[in-house]
Amino acid sequence: MDKDLADFALDYATSKKVEYAEVRAHKEDHQELVIKNGVLDAYASMVDSGFCVRVLANGGIGFASTNKWTREEAKTIVNIAHKFAKMARRRKKITFAEEKRMKTDWRVPQKKKIEDVPPETRIETLMEVDKALTSQGINVAARIFAFGTNLTEKYFVNTEGSVISSYVPRISTYGFITVVESGKPEQASRQFGYAGGWEALSQWRLTEEMIHEAKVLQRVIKEGKAVKPEKMDLICGSEVTGIAAHESCGHPMEADRILGREMSQAGRSFIYPKGPFWLGTKIGSSIVTIVDDPTVKNSYGYYEYDDEGIKARLRYLYKNGVINEFLHNRETAARMGTRSNGASRAINYDREAIVRMANTFVQPRDMTEEEMFEDVKQGVYMRTFMEWNIDDKRFNQRYVGREAYWIEKGELKHPVARPVIETTTKTFWSAVDAVSKKVEYEAASCGKGDPMQGVPVYTGGPLIRLREVYVK
Amino acid sequence: MSDALAKTEEVVKKGKALGADEVIAKTTFGRYRQTRFSNNQIDISVAWNDYATDVVLTWKKRVVATLIRNFQNVDENVTRLFKLAKVSKENPLHGGFAKGKFRYQKSKADRALGNLENPAEYVFEAIEAAKKEAGPTTNAGGVLLTRLDDVHLVSSEGPMGEDHRSSIELSIRAFSQKEASGHGVEVGSTIKGFDPASAGRKAGEIAKLAKNPKAGVEGRYDVIFDPLLAGHLVDMWGSMTSAYNVMIQQSVFVNKLGQKVASNIVTMRDIPASYSLGNRVFDDEGVPAKENVLISKGVLKTYLHNTSTAKIFKAETTGNAGIVMPTPWSVEMDAGNMSKDEMFREVKHGLYLTNTWYTRFQNYAIGDFSTIPRDGMFLVEKGEIKQSWKNIRLSDNALKMLNNIVGISKERQHVHWWGFDWGLPAISPYVLMKDVQITRPK
Repeated sequence: MDKDLADFALDYATSKKVEYAEVRAHKEDHQELVIKNGVLDAYASMVDSGFCVRVLANGGIGFASTNKWTREEAKTIVNIAHKFAKMARRRKKITFAEEKRMKTDWRVPQKKKIEDVPPETRIETLMEVDKALTSQGINVAARIFAFGTNLTEKYFVNTEGSVISSYVPRISTYGFITVVESGKPEQASRQFGYAGGWEALSQWRLTEEMIHEAKVLQRVIKEGKAVKPEKMDLICGSEVTGIAAHESCGHPMEADRILGREMSQAGRSFIYPKGPFWLGTKIGSSIVTIVDDPTVKNSYGYYEYDDEGIKARLRYLYKNGVINEFLHNRETAARMGTRSNGASRAINYDREAIVRMANTFVQPRDMTEEEMFEDVKQGVYMRTFMEWNIDDKRFNQRYVGREAYWIEKGELKHPVARPVIETTTKTFWSAVDAVSKKVEYEAASCGKGDPMQGVPVYTGGPLIRLREVYVK
Repeated sequence: MSDALAKTEEVVKKGKALGADEVIAKTTFGRYRQTRFSNNQIDISVAWNDYATDVVLTWKKRVVATLIRNFQNVDENVTRLFKLAKVSKENPLHGGFAKGKFRYQKSKADRALGNLENPAEYVFEAIEAAKKEAGPTTNAGGVLLTRLDDVHLVSSEGPMGEDHRSSIELSIRAFSQKEASGHGVEVGSTIKGFDPASAGRKAGEIAKLAKNPKAGVEGRYDVIFDPLLAGHLVDMWGSMTSAYNVMIQQSVFVNKLGQKVASNIVTMRDIPASYSLGNRVFDDEGVPAKENVLISKGVLKTYLHNTSTAKIFKAETTGNAGIVMPTPWSVEMDAGNMSKDEMFREVKHGLYLTNTWYTRFQNYAIGDFSTIPRDGMFLVEKGEIKQSWKNIRLSDNALKMLNNIVGISKERQHVHWWGFDWGLPAISPYVLMKDVQITRPK
């Protein structure tokens, strides 16, 4: 990565009539392999690097990027970005919230360096998972595993004097399996992610987890019973708690949505100025606190400074059941008269940094898991989910259980086949009457932006218990 | 031979000189320009210049790939790739890359789309059209994207060619109230005839009709799908014909070749023609891209293949490589024989749905899924729109829905927007489907 060229681009942008300019350079060393039905499809290895410039001029924003590292090209993209910024002809001029300049260099340490792990080891690791999975006497008719590592080096400079370098290694695995029993298929997918080194593998327990998934699917096919649709208690496992926190708390609390900037793509929010929901409005029971925290060590969504050079910190989104703090970048913070809380992220040099989550989860409380179940007369324990979606206001949502069990008098009984909860954000979080004390995380790629930017995140939480919700 | 093609050939020669069995290099010089807007104002305009060469080589059936930017460090990159092949693992299902010399159609890309003058004017025209339909307080957002790709492909197995691919798409969502919106798109491969106002008008028309929505009612309905929503479904069904998706069972078409999978009136094709957003003259192996009939009168005719999947399925490549995964380019549903008005007259008690997003499956192989209608969604009584609805979900089965199509319009629209989960452009008609399950939150 040619930092001098990035500095040159910034200097050249400064020579224009601009209110603000920044240059962000990325270098990605990426390796990925895909194993399909026990066969290595392909192994890809590449190093990609480029830089972008974002200019604020005449109250408009222009952005341009390139992967051609020449001074001539740097001038070209600065000129385009400057021209584009002026083209906006905005009535309401864009400004950025005032922030401190920052000079720092941060890195995520690795216990076992990804760079030192040869391709053969990577391939064998995944092959062994596939081999173990198909040695269980279960008909896993289709399997696909995608395994990837990213070593991301960034360099950020802006006209306010910030200079930030960073290095983040990330490692991820995606698995999708189909189990067929008596001619009937059931499917499961899992994602694993980690910021750090190869030590992730020992924490993930890939083989055990995927075998568990296969056994669950087989049992659901053999023993799963549909639930009689009615109101009942529902205990959500960490994975279900996490997706609900992500979809119905994290997304609607993104300030760019609230202000309408994503209106035609990812949508708006049920929270909007002068609407029924705003900061201070009750949205759930008083024991529900949902945070977004980029600083969870080794988390998939970990970062120390965001892509506008703002220091990352924990954000209390819903606090004790009340809408508390939105996720901001500098543009949205200025519009709402506040400060950025470091939520601006981009997946690469060719993408604009926009408001994103990092690791969104329900904060734990004091109940043991046994206590959560013991006074449930009848209900469903939805440990994991398969199908899910939510409307573009982030209010009408649905989760369909993958691993789920009938609860009777506090005890787990037979598997429940694909139980469904289809409800609203307020109904869901208001029904929570108990939260357990152990948080577990699930890795995910959060999709937003146009073009789409899938950023690494954790979702998660403890078990939560919902009283008297409609399950079908 | 262009300079870029010559440099691309050098990459291939380098790989062969090292001892690779097969090498394909594909260089793309892409110029992309995007203008995003919301609240009737431009938020950001973006330019990407992309110089990239995708390289795939095989050695003893070990398939490895890399990306070289701007022809930098070619020797080092290809050598590293070849070393990777030597320590990689054999893919016994690799069937080789396509062999032979091919003649390609002449590309008809519109080079004006490489650097469109005044893109903001197109945006303002669309916004004004939406306001004209839905009123001066209409709040609109969206995106204008132009693309020009110069593609240079060389394969050690014979294919060599150049292609130029262009597209322009405008997507606009207009809000007449906080919970009343409409979405319109205008897409194509050339600036000629491009009409941003038509997208704005459509968005505005629907937004106006969508005012004061009531909570929808669960049940089974006859549903008219607007071409934008029908395009989303066409996108989904088309993607499921990829042989790769069949192999990993992310498809409802597993083991269904030659079988009836849809209503008799359904014919679907993949057509990478020059008019399409997905235009191209060859695939990623250099095989000429061509029209493929996917479903003919309700019968599944083919999966989409590259050379390797074709060998597995004892078929011929369909010109849809993806080196690893074959993919459709642009899926079309054939026009039917009904007018839009006739279709509405057929509906005694049903729905008209204009758009959707967030389609997710609980089981791809069986086809059970749900998706969330957005923008205008309407109760239709005796052929007339009676009420605007909100807060509903379509929760049904992908295969059953294909079989429940009872009407297809004569008119079709070229559609694509950000919310298409499979990302493909489509050309789709209005579609009338019976017995569609609608659910809502409780």
